Amino acid sequence: MITALALLGYAAGAAWFAPALLAPLTHRGVSVRAGLAAWLAAMASVLASVALAIGLSFRTIAADWPGLTQALCRSVAGSACTPEVYGSVLYQAGVLVLAGSLTLAGALAAWRYGRRVRRSRAQTRSHARAALLVGHAIGGQDRTVMLDDPRPAAYCVAGRPAAIVVTSGALAVLDQSQLKAVLAHESAHLAHGHHTLATVTRGLAAAFPGVPLFTRGAEEVARLTEMAADDSAARTNGRPALVAALIAIATGAAVASGGLPGGAFPDPGMPRGAMAAAARAVPERVERLLRPSSPARSTAVTAALSLALAVLAAAPTALTLFLAG
Amino acid sequence: MHRIWDHGGTLTVRDLFEGLREERNIAYTTVMSTMDNLYRKGWLARERDGKAYRYTAVATREEYSARLMREAMTEAGDTEAVLSHFVAQMDGSESEALRAVLARLAGGRP
Repeated sequence: MITALALLGYAAGAAWFAPALLAPLTHRGVSVRAGLAAWLAAMASVLASVALAIGLSFRTIAADWPGLTQALCRSVAGSACTPEVYGSVLYQAGVLVLAGSLTLAGALAAWRYGRRVRRSRAQTRSHARAALLVGHAIGGQDRTVMLDDPRPAAYCVAGRPAAIVVTSGALAVLDQSQLKAVLAHESAHLAHGHHTLATVTRGLAAAFPGVPLFTRGAEEVARLTEMAADDSAARTNGRPALVAALIAIATGAAVASGGLPGGAFPDPGMPRGAMAAAARAVPERVERLLRPSSPARSTAVTAALSLALAVLAAAPTALTLFLAG
Repeated sequence: MHRIWDHGGTLTVRDLFEGLREERNIAYTTVMSTMDNLYRKGWLARERDGKAYRYTAVATREEYSARLMREAMTEAGDTEAVLSHFVAQMDGSESEALRAVLARLAGGRP
């Protein structure tokens, strides 16, 4: 029972405090891969600990139910706990309700996760299908389409098949090389399966509302995948084109690659939907593209994240083996 | 779908098939099953005309396009579709932050 409680304690601690530790290390995207790995390991570690704790509790309950109820009763009520009390139907029912509600909470989380993932997948696929039907094919690729809309925007939707959508408003402010950089960024999302990460992390955030590791984690994972796609696009199409494209779409005004605007940006003056916060980290994304962090800093951050990852990955098994053995 | 929109009115499978056959080698049954699919997915409406169906687009291309953009640009949380936006439009404070970053980079360059 001690092991199960320790695992639950660890899970709660990690779920509430790991974000405070990881976010400063991953927020600027110094080490994108290590950052993604660390966030996902933290989520897996917490889920595994809770699952282990539930499994261990059931085993204990099955092995010594009368002894367990007595011990629980004594620890709460002390000497007031007589055989009449813990032998009573009411008391037994109380313990069963407690165990049942914990199981129900777990089942509810699993149900929320499943519902969210199913809906998200259905909506994503229908959006992609519709975009391919309605849009005008551009870029010589079947999966890239243009939709008529004055608001500059570009996005990809996973589906079967997936689609990359660019609005006419975006085409108006991008030159050829910048458009290629945008398409490379979106293709990288699709090629690296970033939508799967988004579906899973957003599903977990919906399953555990208010738990920082999952709510904050979903945001940070989205942010890191944006930066990963930026890196891919910068490798193939060059940083200047990508940075100019970022600024052009974010401000709605054309920008020459390489020549960065110094003056005031035009206010797009359009109602902008509250898209994922990740799509908003424009200053941070521009800064890390134009001035990558020093090798020493990258190495330090990667090392710190790898250490965090190792601890998070080992914790559930280590706790179980140490306390049970 | 594009052809039906461009045509503007109602079309039978035969009409569309004749039009398509001029540009590529395509089977009548392929056209028929595609249109049947679009009908079942709610993109096309149809009414019986003798032995054949006459198909009409349920909404214009512009209406569908607007619906998609609404879904894409909507408040996060309203849509559960996983869309990866390249970048969102900035508001005043974000523009300010970006300007500061660019000024710092321009000043700090050797």
